[in-house]
Amino acid sequence: MIQRFRENRRLQGFLLILPTLFVMVVMLIIPLTLTVVTSFGQRDADGNVIYTFTLENYWRLIGFTEQGWDDLYLRILLRSLWLALQTTVIVIAMAYPLAYFIARAPEKRRNSLLFLVLIPLWTNFIIRIYAWVMILRGQGVLNSALGGVAGLLSIPFQPLDLYPSQGAVLIGMVYEFLPFMILPIYTSLEKIEPSLYEAAADLYANAFRTFWRVTAPLSMPGVVAGTILTFVPVIGTFVVSDILGGRQVILVGNLVQRQFLDARNPPFGSAASIILLLMTLGLTLYYTRRFGLGEEIAAG
Amino acid sequence: MTGRRCWGVLIALFIVMLSMAACGGAAESPDATSAGEGDAACPAPDPRLEVTSTELNLFVWTEYIPQDIIDCFEEVYGIRVNKDEYSSNEEMYAKLSAGGANYDLVQPTDYIVGLMIRQGLLQPLDKDKLPIFDNFDANYLNLAFDPDNQYTLPYQAGADAIVVNTDAVATRPQSFADLWNPDYAGRLVMLDDSRAIIAATLLTLGYDVNTMDPAQLEEAKVKLAELVKGVKLFDSDSPKTALIAGDVDLGILWTGEAAIAQRELPAIEFVYPTEGPILWQDTYAIPADAPHLDAAYAWLNYSLQGNLFWKMLDEFPYTNPNRAALDFAKANHPDLYDAYQNSSITNIPAEVLERGHYIEDVGEATPLYDRVWTEVKGG
Repeated sequence: MIQRFRENRRLQGFLLILPTLFVMVVMLIIPLTLTVVTSFGQRDADGNVIYTFTLENYWRLIGFTEQGWDDLYLRILLRSLWLALQTTVIVIAMAYPLAYFIARAPEKRRNSLLFLVLIPLWTNFIIRIYAWVMILRGQGVLNSALGGVAGLLSIPFQPLDLYPSQGAVLIGMVYEFLPFMILPIYTSLEKIEPSLYEAAADLYANAFRTFWRVTAPLSMPGVVAGTILTFVPVIGTFVVSDILGGRQVILVGNLVQRQFLDARNPPFGSAASIILLLMTLGLTLYYTRRFGLGEEIAAG
Repeated sequence: MTGRRCWGVLIALFIVMLSMAACGGAAESPDATSAGEGDAACPAPDPRLEVTSTELNLFVWTEYIPQDIIDCFEEVYGIRVNKDEYSSNEEMYAKLSAGGANYDLVQPTDYIVGLMIRQGLLQPLDKDKLPIFDNFDANYLNLAFDPDNQYTLPYQAGADAIVVNTDAVATRPQSFADLWNPDYAGRLVMLDDSRAIIAATLLTLGYDVNTMDPAQLEEAKVKLAELVKGVKLFDSDSPKTALIAGDVDLGILWTGEAAIAQRELPAIEFVYPTEGPILWQDTYAIPADAPHLDAAYAWLNYSLQGNLFWKMLDEFPYTNPNRAALDFAKANHPDLYDAYQNSSITNIPAEVLERGHYIEDVGEATPLYDRVWTEVKGG
């Protein structure tokens, strides 16, 4: 019996993937199926789901209602996309030089530097976002510090009105997702063979040309991986916007949440999350096909 | 060398973090000592119920039950209290209606009680086991949302009305309609509660707070959109914080939040709008599938005893329907009692109660209200 088991590679393989398979089925496939089924339903007066087959929820979301054209939900979706895009671009711009600096640092210092990048992640995400409230608020850390400096220099000082605002949301988002961009970019930069730089120099490439023709293309997989690790979570995130933005606006995450709570309209909420899922999937597929994807996503 | 410097930086960071943690600990220790004193003075349960359960699962509002009361109950009955918290009725409803939640007591607000009864989520109270009913002021019993109190027991009551920092605001608003004053733009704080804020808007237009008329809601939407542009902060977790910190100067808040804010900043005043405030009552109710019924009844009788529940006046100063608790405070903690009685925030004047409005479940129209809220914030 044991002998047969030892020889049966397929059975061994199956047993090895069993835990993962179990998690995937119980925690992904079943809930997702339920969401899809619910999204074709309707609500009754008390907010219970009536299981039927109607596409009405989807039509409403993409703007076609019985009362005519209505782009409210599309605007909310676009606003979330726009915020995710801004965050990702700023994060790339900030993470790349830092990752480059770490990758080019002497080998024994690299780990300590990476360690510093990771330290903030030891603290809970929500607590760090609340810390930004303390920093940015009218009489917060930043304004007190600036006020103190202005006082020393006898410059009139008007406290900056940073919290709550959409600017604060962007600051919080960039802060939150920066490490997830630094790590994959670092991984791909660190792997570049030094001999390639020597070869570029031998061929009379200047620093700019070396960067453009050697470093940038070879680090692209890291940027792609970092973009996915940033852009996708940012679209659905609404905690940062709620805390730092004072809940002034509704993002697609709020929209879905409200349907399951205040509006008691699970079918509409399910349809909204399915649309979000499909859109994210489409964008990710396009992006990875277009720019390629290395193993960095696993490293990040 | 450089490596060593790096470690130096790390160690310094660690020390900073530790000292911050120590500060946090120091700030919390007064609570711990007061709980210690409470232990010494736990009143005896009267009557003491026969209980075989060893656990009690509470599902209650955040910041709404003094820790002393929980400690005393655990000590007196030897029952472990597990407490889960929520910050909106909708959150509580969603969790309960999903089933299998195993809670013994919940604290629904008036408007959601009817829905919970219709959905079979609550069980009728056995009044023979609840002598505590005698504690309550009759004005808070037998209300429209639960005639004869078949399902609920009053917990606390209050109102949503206008809060204003008189140091920062020159002309004080007298009505919800006054909040549209352009001088207030960018300085407003509001509960992130769509029903309450839409209700306030409907009142300024002279409509019923529970209207199901799409045309009236459409009108309210247009009007509310103007106000929302000037709202700096929507917050139902701790709106007083921004008010005390000076990030905002006025807005619509619950009474209890305003009372706590006023203790910190005496310039804060509470104004009952001429249209009448939004009134509410929070209750205790027992879920249909409560696993520890005997412990739930023991908790209700003990925790609402006058000689224990008076602590609410100190920690969570909302309007207290518990006459016995007020009487106990009058005899034993006259300063707390006087503060409660003399403040119009906690002791809501009768004429204000008369012109107040209660939110009700709007059933079919719920998505219309959601739509208004989504549109004013999402547009």
